[in-house]
Amino acid sequence: MKYENRTIPEGINVSEEHPLKEFFILALGLGAITILVVVMLSLAIGKLVHFIPFSVEQSLASSSFATDIADDVVLSKEQQRIEDYLQQLADELSVAQQLPNDMNIIVHYVDGDTVNAFATLGGNIIIYRGLIELLPHENALAMLLSHEIAHIKQRAPIVSLGRGVAVGLVLASLSGFGDSSVSQQLIGNVGLLTSLTFSRDQEEQADIEALQTLEKYYGHTAGAESLFEALSEGESALNPPKLLSTHPQTEDRLERVGRFNGSTIGAVSYKPLPAFLIKEEAFSR
Amino acid sequence: MLVTNIEIIPGKRVTTHLGMVQGNTVRSKHAGRDIMAGLKNIFGGELVGYTELLQESREEATARMVQQAKEIGANAVINVRYSTSSVTAGAAELFAYGTAVIIE
Amino acid sequence: MNIDIYVFVTLLVLGYVFGRLAEKKHFKSIIEREKKYKDLLTFSERLPPPGMNNTDAELVGGSVVISVDYFKRIVAGLRSIVGGRLTTYESLLERARREAILRMKEAAIDKGAIMVINVKLETSSITKGKGQQIGSVEVYAYGTALSPIAV
Repeated sequence: MKYENRTIPEGINVSEEHPLKEFFILALGLGAITILVVVMLSLAIGKLVHFIPFSVEQSLASSSFATDIADDVVLSKEQQRIEDYLQQLADELSVAQQLPNDMNIIVHYVDGDTVNAFATLGGNIIIYRGLIELLPHENALAMLLSHEIAHIKQRAPIVSLGRGVAVGLVLASLSGFGDSSVSQQLIGNVGLLTSLTFSRDQEEQADIEALQTLEKYYGHTAGAESLFEALSEGESALNPPKLLSTHPQTEDRLERVGRFNGSTIGAVSYKPLPAFLIKEEAFSR
Repeated sequence: MLVTNIEIIPGKRVTTHLGMVQGNTVRSKHAGRDIMAGLKNIFGGELVGYTELLQESREEATARMVQQAKEIGANAVINVRYSTSSVTAGAAELFAYGTAVIIE
Repeated sequence: MNIDIYVFVTLLVLGYVFGRLAEKKHFKSIIEREKKYKDLLTFSERLPPPGMNNTDAELVGGSVVISVDYFKRIVAGLRSIVGGRLTTYESLLERARREAILRMKEAAIDKGAIMVINVKLETSSITKGKGQQIGSVEVYAYGTALSPIAV
């Protein structure tokens, strides 16, 4: 009986495939699938959401905290006057924008320095003093309001809520297995990027619709650019790169306004903001 | 190729002992299977997907071990053993090892 | 999120470069040492060869813990979604197994052994928590070293 150890050739227990090749195939393939799933889900939800009655959205909104913040604060007489004025302007613009009858806009004025305004569930629009202070005339304010009304008209808040829930569910379902904390992060980022591009489309649409409303309301769209100038002034400190931002870049938006303004002939006059708004501005500065 | 976990094969005589041969593999099932297994965890019972996974992995590890044995000119692997570990969740990591021999 | 991506890519590149270097180096050293200790025979059989009666029998063992690098973890994480062979972990197991056997052989040589029989391999893994996982594998190789009795 012989005893010996023979040399075993290499490469039986390890695969020869280059790890980088495997990585790129997997990353690209899974990335593409993620994008596809997120896009399909977003499209499907964007369609389905329109079957949810606006009244349901309103009752949802009553439990949403954003409007709570705005409602909890008891407005002073002065602030109430501003809110009433904003509400009246919004109502007039809603008519010009042909907002469906079952939808109604509620404007909330927040006495805060934040340069921001947003539309949320149930037709609620929240506007901060910080932004109004930067607006030079009513035309810019009307542009802002019609932009937010357009969002409500396209049901953007509930669409993005639905998308958020659906995309979140899909991405969360990936977390249940494997050593996936890292790969999940990879896929999560891809998914997030995709959904961001989607909401950018909504923003562009809202801009266009707002410009059309201004055209109808004032007879021209001049002054709309002041809104974007004010916005970029407010956030110039930290301007996120285009890929990662929800809103289109200011230059892109200004260019769009420019296209609309091209139809305006001759000098136009801007409607000034009411005196109490300007007084407020002077007072707070 | 004779693969067994006994050392003395009845009626056969080992002429040459060639040393240890080993096979290893790490495999996983696709995400769908993992999700199904997760659901099954609620109700209990056999995780068919994972049974399959481990079976496939064991077969592959054995096949690799047998290939090593073949490469060094053996015609049997005796005293085969298996060992498992879990570096990562949802994957099967299998070792198969034994002694490659020439029998007649 | 921006920062996350930079951190992620940096870790990925670092993991790939250093992991690959370490693996190449390790395999080279494994092959070298396997040649060096070629004369020490190892078998997984229980019984010593007939005629080898005049020997000391002693348990020897060698263990190693090898960790997976970030890049391999990512590839394996992606692969486990699709299913199939986690090739990046296979080389990890291979390295660990061969290194453990080599260390066992070194221990046997220290005792003046000429043969190791009944070699067994045991694997376990050290994993810390979910999420921030440390993926590493421990292999312990042990057997009985036979060394001639010094008269």
